[in-house]
Amino acid sequence: MSPLLLLILLPLAASLLIMIGANPRRTAIVAALLNLVLSVLLFARYDLHAGGWQFLSEWHVLPNLGINLSLGADGLSMTMLLLSTLVTLSALWVAPKIEKREGLYYVCLLFISAGVIGAFSTLDVLFLYSFHELALIPTFILIGVWGSGDRQAAAWKATIYLGGASFVLLIGIISLYLSLPSGMRTFDLRQLDHLALSGTFHPASWIYLLLLVGFGTLVSLFPFHSWAPPAYACAPTPAAMLHSGVLKKFGLYGLIRICLPLFPEAIQQFNALLVLMLIGNILYIGYVTVAQKRLDWTIGYSSVMHMGYIFLGLASLTVMGINGAALLMFAHGLSVAAAFALCGEIRRRTGTLDYSELGGLGKVTPVLGLLFGFAAMASVGLPGFANFAGEILVFFGATVSSIYGPLMVVAIIIGVWGVVVSAIYMLRAYRHIFWGPIAQRWESLTDIAPTAKWSVILLLVPLMIAGFYPQIILNMVGTILPR
Amino acid sequence: MNVSTIAWITLSAPILAAALILLVTRKSKPLAAGLAILSALITCAGGWILFSRGATGDFLGFNWVDLGASFQIPIGIALDPLSRTMLVIVTTIAPLVFIYSIGYMKDEEGYWRYFAGLALFLFSMLGIVLANNLVMMFIFWELVGVSSYILIGHYFRKDSAADAAKQAFLVNRIGDFGFMLGILLFWISTGTFSFSALNSSAGVFVQHPTLLGVACVLIFCGTVGKSAQFPLHVWLPNSMEGPTPVSSLLHAATMVAAGVYLLARIFPILSASPGACEVVAWTGAITALGAGILATQQDDIKGILAYSTISQLGYMVTGAGLAVSAALPMFHLFTHAFFKCLLFLTAGSVILGMHHEQNIWKMGGLLKKMPVTFITYCCGMLALSGCPFFSGHYSKDLIMACSWEHHRGIFWVVVIAAGLTPFYMTRQAMVVFFGKARTEHSEHAHESPLVMIIPLILLAIPAVCAGYAPVEHFFFHEIGSLAEPEVPSFVPTIFMAAFLAGLGLAFLIYRNVEKDPVRIPFLAQRFYIDDLYFWIVRVIQGGFARLCSFIDRWFIDGILVQGSATFIWTIGFALRFLQLGNIQAYAFFFGAGVIGLIYLILNVR
Amino acid sequence: MPTLANYLLASGILFAVGLGGVMLRRSIIIIFMSLEIMLNAANLALIAFSRYGLVSGHQVFDAQILVFFIITVAAAEVAVGLAIIVSLYRARQTTHVEDLDTLKF
Repeated sequence: MSPLLLLILLPLAASLLIMIGANPRRTAIVAALLNLVLSVLLFARYDLHAGGWQFLSEWHVLPNLGINLSLGADGLSMTMLLLSTLVTLSALWVAPKIEKREGLYYVCLLFISAGVIGAFSTLDVLFLYSFHELALIPTFILIGVWGSGDRQAAAWKATIYLGGASFVLLIGIISLYLSLPSGMRTFDLRQLDHLALSGTFHPASWIYLLLLVGFGTLVSLFPFHSWAPPAYACAPTPAAMLHSGVLKKFGLYGLIRICLPLFPEAIQQFNALLVLMLIGNILYIGYVTVAQKRLDWTIGYSSVMHMGYIFLGLASLTVMGINGAALLMFAHGLSVAAAFALCGEIRRRTGTLDYSELGGLGKVTPVLGLLFGFAAMASVGLPGFANFAGEILVFFGATVSSIYGPLMVVAIIIGVWGVVVSAIYMLRAYRHIFWGPIAQRWESLTDIAPTAKWSVILLLVPLMIAGFYPQIILNMVGTILPR
Repeated sequence: MNVSTIAWITLSAPILAAALILLVTRKSKPLAAGLAILSALITCAGGWILFSRGATGDFLGFNWVDLGASFQIPIGIALDPLSRTMLVIVTTIAPLVFIYSIGYMKDEEGYWRYFAGLALFLFSMLGIVLANNLVMMFIFWELVGVSSYILIGHYFRKDSAADAAKQAFLVNRIGDFGFMLGILLFWISTGTFSFSALNSSAGVFVQHPTLLGVACVLIFCGTVGKSAQFPLHVWLPNSMEGPTPVSSLLHAATMVAAGVYLLARIFPILSASPGACEVVAWTGAITALGAGILATQQDDIKGILAYSTISQLGYMVTGAGLAVSAALPMFHLFTHAFFKCLLFLTAGSVILGMHHEQNIWKMGGLLKKMPVTFITYCCGMLALSGCPFFSGHYSKDLIMACSWEHHRGIFWVVVIAAGLTPFYMTRQAMVVFFGKARTEHSEHAHESPLVMIIPLILLAIPAVCAGYAPVEHFFFHEIGSLAEPEVPSFVPTIFMAAFLAGLGLAFLIYRNVEKDPVRIPFLAQRFYIDDLYFWIVRVIQGGFARLCSFIDRWFIDGILVQGSATFIWTIGFALRFLQLGNIQAYAFFFGAGVIGLIYLILNVR
Repeated sequence: MPTLANYLLASGILFAVGLGGVMLRRSIIIIFMSLEIMLNAANLALIAFSRYGLVSGHQVFDAQILVFFIITVAAAEVAVGLAIIVSLYRARQTTHVEDLDTLKF
């Protein structure tokens, strides 16, 4: 039994058990824990010297069309799998007591987990897409049923928007498939890479645009970002953690996997466009975030903003830039999941996330404040957390490619300024929530419970390990580059 | 034990202490303090051992980022005369402040937070001192910023402290914006960011002097932020919200001096760019004068010292900009660290004795109540004012003399500032220590406990002697030349005159006065610069942010997203009218459709 | 001698009458009758083709067979249709087509 297939099946098996009637929370957490252990083992056993795809397995589905469930992982996939299993366990752990339909809640979360794990471990482009859809639909249910605020509108908007983006993506994928010569049509990534390397395969540029828009919307690239803030603000905490922490990275993963090797000329051609869009992400969304007055909207928008940095790394097309982008994917996933977890904890206690109503919570909830401080500092790009390492590599990578044009220079300047902007809104959030005199009605709040505390620490510890020694991740991720 | 091991132990001891305090010893006050002080003493021992051995070397710890030969970010320790001397400064002052804190923070809450923050700070500061490349220094630069944030925000329940901490971090970040861009620019030009390689790379820029100038000025932005130069000086006076030992260690002696240390570190490449040096020198001079003017109207005992610190940092920065030698600013940094730290600690002693009263106009006559504090205060104050035989005189006058020789315009600016310093310090001395007690608290003020007095005495010694020639030679002869420039004989007289004028004027004005006879609101309001920044943040930044938010909510979200959804909905709504519910209408459409089809089939051939 | 064209004309007129009835009459039973007229018009055209549309000199009887099919289908359709009309009348108490508009927007 292929270990990667096991990773995918465990959450699905747990869902089945829950549907039959097992205790939802315990079953889910056990499955997630097993998944985490398995992925850490795989991460450790990945052969760094050999590189390339490992832990391979294959099931033929429609071989004459070139569709097979091929599973395999390389350095980038391993890192993303580790991220997924970490965030899944943390999200399940931090989930509050559910009154209605608890089983369905956990089943949805497990389906999301299975979907992302499948997406990150498959080598077949069509299955990549399908697993993503598997992960997307449960978010609709989660936001619509258990969310807060204007949840149904947010659920509809997010799902239809992302569904539209997936549709564009599907057109792109199928066009890519059809543009292969008819004897060699396949969805297998390995063969596609092989064809690209051999220099015989030149897919059209407009396919790249379709893929960029499709994947980009999934990652909330400006201007296709409007689904993100309301979805995150209204989603229940575990859904927000999984979505922003892991599901978003799928789009970037797809870009790295499919677009980078297969469309070298198209990327060069449209690089200016991508840089303009990511400048929009960093600068424009950065200031939109500054204007927010609620914590959930702030974190949601900040998540959109930080995607700009990852895109900058990708747009730089340099070793440092892409490595930095991958590291930042890992780091951001962990830090934003931790931030949403803590945000959920605050909301549970006070019922509000409005800056003008909160204040001085540091006195009654010191541990919560301390953990949020860590998460905030990570997101701001403080050294000691992996986010800083990723960002600085992105800047260096972008600097290398800046000699090719002034637009990249502008992007770098804006990117470094974005670090200041992110400090502005994060520190403002921290100051308004935890510092200052405490209002009478918050005097009796309880500090964070051990389950929530340890689930956040579960996220912060790898973040700090990677922050102190980013090579752990970089060694992994660097193996994809020769290809 | 070899040098490399000692260096790494020195660097790592404080962070281990901080981690232990955070994770293990939160409940126990003495244990937290003990761990921190132990680590500080270890670093002190390490620092002096390294210095005495004349240890030199570039020790690679590990590659923090290693992407093969094309790109590496090393974490390594550089030991050379400059870092050794700075190491001694930091590691000598730190334990004294830590020990003093035991007394000062005795009854405060958040004890463990305080010492963990101090330990984190010590680790970060040592990282800056020992860094062998710009990126590593930047990492620790940011870490120093966050320790400062934690420590200034120690009394976070107060709005003013919370805002001050946030402001300090953000203003520093703005400086770091320029710093980062400078690092990137240097890297893309020379392919390196290690100090040794960078400092010998002036040849690369021979054809591109503007490039070098811009890169140096960008790196200088980091100094402007960290060392509170104009226009990023606003955070330092507000940082006085932190506990006084924090103000003395971070915001007087060491952290703010890191900016000057950076300039000294890149001195060879900086001095290769006359344009950058010009910018640096003038920024320093303007800061020195402006802050000196503002200090004359401050009513908070720490506020006066804060502006004085900004002013003295301006001197150091000017010294660097004169491009004489790396030792010139470092010498003043050296003497300033001791006497400024001393002054803050005496202020802390006064504040504690006055039951946390900080307004000087509520003090008075403390000379008799707190004699040891007073004497040590005098040592510091005279050193700061540039009184002969005290340390500050030598370092400050050297900078001024060099400016006479190299840059006459700056000379006059710094001389006026040199006259202001004794003025506001004497004002402070007169109002706080002399005269009659003005309030109840000053009537009943008492001397501070021994654990606070001893560091004061220990610091008073270098405050007096640190400028003497043998000491100067011992620490600085390998760093650079501190030779007295040739100046006409009336120049030292000018200095003396400025000193005496400031001292005398303040003595006359502030003798036995109840309240400040000189009231200049423009100065008391800090040239309204703070208000200007506040306005910029609120109106311009806030306005821009609101504009972006508006565009996002209404245009991108409203028109494009909701709009397309509404568009589809409208089409659906329009098409509804085809459903007439009338069978005959349906039959009509059916028939028309059939005829149309027949037409198509027969004609489209 | 009546030619093919005559029969086709008659068939066309019949069809038009039937179509007009379907489109314009209000009572659903009359519409059904018109529908029958249209079907029989088609039958007439088929028989005419069978009799006059000679293929290599012989009559072709396929169309006449088709006529039987059409008559059968029409009868079945009337049976079902009248059943629907009866239940519609029981539900709505009207046979006027204009009154049946619940599918209107």
